Amino acid sequence: MWKQLATGSAVALMAATAGGPALAAGDEIREIRLLSRPQAAQPQEFQFVQLIAQEWRRLGLEVEVDIMPWEQMADLVWYNRDAWDVTAWQMVGRPERSDPDELIYNLFHSSTAPAGYNFIGYSNPELDAVVEAQRVETDQDARQALIHQAQAILSADQPNLMLVHPRSTYAFNASVWNPETVIDQSGIGIKNVWTFIGAEPAGDQRDMVLNSADTVQGINPLWISGATDSWITELVWDRLLRIGPDGLPQPWAAESYAWLDETTVEVVLRSGMAWHDGQPMTVEDVKFSFEAPMGEEVPMYAPFVGNIAEIELVDDTTIRFHLAEPSAAFLTATLAKVNLIPQHIWDPVLTDLATRPENAEDHQEEVPIGSGPFRFVSWRINEEVVLEANADHFSPPLMDRWILRIIPNQEAALGMLRSGALNFLSDYSGDPTVLEGLAGELAEIELASTTDIGFRYVAFNNRRPPFNDPAFRNALSRAVNRDLIVGAAFRGFAVPSNSVISPALGFWHNEAIDGLETGPDVAQSLLEEAGYEVIGGRLHYPEGISEALSE
Amino acid sequence: MPDASVAGARPGLGAGRRPSAVGRAFRALKIPVGDPFAVIGLVIYAVFVLVAIFADQLATHDPLEILFTEDYQLAADQPAFGEFVLGTTNLGRDIYSQMIYGTRSALIVGLAAAAAVVVVGTLVGLFAGYMGGWVDRVLMRLADIAFGIPFLPFVIVLAAFLEPSIWNVVLAMALILWRDTGRVVRSQVLTLRSRAYVEAARVSGSGSLKIVFRHIAPNVLPLSLLYGSISIGWAILTEASISFLGFGDANAVSWGYMLQDAYASQALSRGAYHWFLPPGLCIVLVVVAGFFISRGYEEVLFPRLRS
Amino acid sequence: MAFVLWAVATILFLIFRLMPGNPLAAYIDPTFTEEQQAALIARFGLDKSLFEQYLLYLWNLMQGQLGDSFFYRQPVGSLILQVLPNTLVLALGSLIVAYIIGVIAGAYLAWKRGTWIEGLGIPVVLTTRAAPEFWVGMVLLAVFSFSFGWFPAGGASSPGAEFDGYLDLYLSWDFLSHLFLPALTLAIYFHGLPLLLMRSNMLDVMNEDFVTMARIKGLSEFSVVVRHGARNALLPVMTSFAFAVGYQMQGSVVVETVFSWPGLGRMLVGAVSAGDYALAQGAFLLIAAVVVVMNLVADLLYGVLDPRVSHA
Repeated sequence: MWKQLATGSAVALMAATAGGPALAAGDEIREIRLLSRPQAAQPQEFQFVQLIAQEWRRLGLEVEVDIMPWEQMADLVWYNRDAWDVTAWQMVGRPERSDPDELIYNLFHSSTAPAGYNFIGYSNPELDAVVEAQRVETDQDARQALIHQAQAILSADQPNLMLVHPRSTYAFNASVWNPETVIDQSGIGIKNVWTFIGAEPAGDQRDMVLNSADTVQGINPLWISGATDSWITELVWDRLLRIGPDGLPQPWAAESYAWLDETTVEVVLRSGMAWHDGQPMTVEDVKFSFEAPMGEEVPMYAPFVGNIAEIELVDDTTIRFHLAEPSAAFLTATLAKVNLIPQHIWDPVLTDLATRPENAEDHQEEVPIGSGPFRFVSWRINEEVVLEANADHFSPPLMDRWILRIIPNQEAALGMLRSGALNFLSDYSGDPTVLEGLAGELAEIELASTTDIGFRYVAFNNRRPPFNDPAFRNALSRAVNRDLIVGAAFRGFAVPSNSVISPALGFWHNEAIDGLETGPDVAQSLLEEAGYEVIGGRLHYPEGISEALSE
Repeated sequence: MPDASVAGARPGLGAGRRPSAVGRAFRALKIPVGDPFAVIGLVIYAVFVLVAIFADQLATHDPLEILFTEDYQLAADQPAFGEFVLGTTNLGRDIYSQMIYGTRSALIVGLAAAAAVVVVGTLVGLFAGYMGGWVDRVLMRLADIAFGIPFLPFVIVLAAFLEPSIWNVVLAMALILWRDTGRVVRSQVLTLRSRAYVEAARVSGSGSLKIVFRHIAPNVLPLSLLYGSISIGWAILTEASISFLGFGDANAVSWGYMLQDAYASQALSRGAYHWFLPPGLCIVLVVVAGFFISRGYEEVLFPRLRS
Repeated sequence: MAFVLWAVATILFLIFRLMPGNPLAAYIDPTFTEEQQAALIARFGLDKSLFEQYLLYLWNLMQGQLGDSFFYRQPVGSLILQVLPNTLVLALGSLIVAYIIGVIAGAYLAWKRGTWIEGLGIPVVLTTRAAPEFWVGMVLLAVFSFSFGWFPAGGASSPGAEFDGYLDLYLSWDFLSHLFLPALTLAIYFHGLPLLLMRSNMLDVMNEDFVTMARIKGLSEFSVVVRHGARNALLPVMTSFAFAVGYQMQGSVVVETVFSWPGLGRMLVGAVSAGDYALAQGAFLLIAAVVVVMNLVADLLYGVLDPRVSHA
């Protein structure tokens, strides 16, 4: 691929003028800019970027670490796709990423390269074919084989330098919550809807007090806003299916579901369900919930219902979804994703919004009404959100209230956990070893750390030489000892990664590609084989390759 | 306004009490060595200036280098007074060396900001006071606007939009905090204008600029320096606050950066006082030194307080 | 005053709009189509020319409209009003503490002029002024909250506490115990101003004839200091209070973050980090408005109460 970019005669000329032993080699590789966010915001990222830069410099590369705030970095990487070399990046774990499609398809399929998630510009027809095939494969085992194959292709190509899957670390007070009833959801951790419903008070304290460093943006079933907001929407609103603790979708508001054929799913709604204002939930409400995002007013949910051709109401409890084309991820990405909303509240709102420039995301209900296991009580901005148990729900929570405190000061959050003002540490971005120490010191504090679905990595811009050469990417990736990164940047709270499908997703993760061999010698020999040469301490392109970017 | 008031000088009030002669101003410019506070302040400054100059010799490590122990483990959370003078951070940086290099950032920010405040404020005060008329009105209007801009929020906004850099603080101070100096210098100039010797210079045909810089400026300079010595502290405190809020310069090791790092890494919860206290104490020392010196100036300028 | 506010508003507009990059960059989901992005830009009026935007902005400001927050998708005005009272209470609470400590200690130090107490007192006061507020706050938190457990570690009320309106909240023991540490932090920083003002005013007053007369009459020293000295020195100190309110509004930016206080300063910091221009602009303007108004009040009070300071 890189050969097309070479301009032979110019190389020869330049080599000749440079004189000396450079005759056989290509151009000197330019200074590589490695983007990262500030230490204040991302201490671990800052740390691993320094370590990686150090390793790359040993290969004879000039590496400049370029630190910028997230907004600038996102702007550069997303909207100026030709203008960067390498960047630190991360994907966060979300329940719907339990289905491998989003990560394996959106990140690497060539169709998403111009404007979508494939911002690295990776393009490989072989991979395209495999990820397209898994999308429409509704047989789980056959799909698993395809997903494994895709991971193997990516491992050989190394479009990214996969670093680690962090272990998200939370803690709770075991004298307040019975540890048996705190559930660890695969890849998500103990901060999940199953814990919030099932946690059993061990003593008199029946309110769960949690923390978040980030403020709540909105409590709105039709807006995908901040990560913290999604904890609330998941509790206030029901969905037809939910992602279970094992990472696979299971019936929730739906009593059952079945594939009638490749493009038809039939769902039976649980009977006796009611909205928080007392009105009964009907199949019309369900139909409305999936049709609302098809209009103009709910842009963020529109992609999830795009494949629905028609929604048919068979009887008072049965709904049939007819799809435009087969989709393996439909259960996870649509049925377990779309919030069920009451038609009697949202229909007038959406009708009104259609006449104004605002859309559904701008509409904050005074008292949000869902049907979920928790009812909304109050929200004081930058301070707290209070929910109470919905005793009428088919799966009523055991706690009385769920109180989310907004605490930007992590040190204070630790102090509160210690004093009992918090009994569930649901957000902790500080140093996990400190939390470990606290749990060791106080018997009632229990630590729970889970390998994340999300991951940290360094993205190569596959569009630009020298990163368009798989051999070069491979060498750079193998120059970095992942165990060193785990220890020195994540203090042991991470597992090495070589795949976008986390080991937390046991069924989909391809174990065969684990344990990438790394080390400076491995990297050097890869570079030599591919014809790269170190001259005067600087790495040069293989013979005949010139630096295509002269700034 | 608060910056000066707190050290005891009362802008507006002081202007009425006139210093007697050029000689006194000269003595004041020579730095107020008669005042014990000022001497202490000057000694503190001298020490920090020496530390900043010889930082390369005093530091034991590169302040940003990730350190490893002999068995290739990250040298994290090392206690103080062991292999590392003040121990290491949780990500393996040498705290003592950071503190030493932090002195450089602190003095650069402090002195640059003070210089900016003194220069801008004095020039504005001189021209507004001497020229009067529309020049005065325009400049004082600008001062009104500057007084209406909340300083810390302004620095935050500036730091968020410009590249994170220690110079943002200096820029913000040059843009906003000249206001106090400007006003006080102006009222001083107003009283000086009508002085006999200024009148004499004017009658003898000296040009405006010459009068301003030769006859008036030397008399207001001590007053400007009073404000300048307070500005040093302001700049350092502001830099620390900005860093703490996460808008600091990630590439420059400053005391504010250290405190932010310690805070974000739960230094208090891990009992790492050797990490959290030294940079804070350094800030206190340098800032208070500025206050002490400004008090010295004040005693010279407003001897009334000496009674 | 209106002129100053207009100028501040204009400067802010220019800062926010002339920055490089798309102001909505942080809010445009990468999965959006170009039409969706364009719709969002139009939604916030960012498709108009800079001058049109400016006129619209001024027009809206005059009607008290601050626009919609990009981040919360709600009107900026209502968001700010939710947290403004908390910041005002914190500012006032801390100032009351600062002025009580400052006035008493200032009078005392003036009385003890020339003794070792003064020799020690002044440097101590200047030192409290030299310590970064967030650092003092963290130390107070570590000592009084983490170690002794006397005060809560953050927030403005206990989890899930319910109150009937602001008055009920602000008079509750729960709220006051949350207020204590942040107010103390700000007070430690701020008490130096009233203290030093009080002291120098006292020194002035104590040399006046009527004080000397009182002494000659044989009144006790304490009585002279308090009845004649302090009372007369106090008025000018109190006039600085108005100005201090405006000043303290900006000081709260840092302290609110340390103590997780749901106030305007924290909202401003959050808005700036989230790239929420509309909200940052609104919060900034409101703080500026308080500052400008309080500066004016302070000026007027100076003129009324202290005729010596007629405007030079």
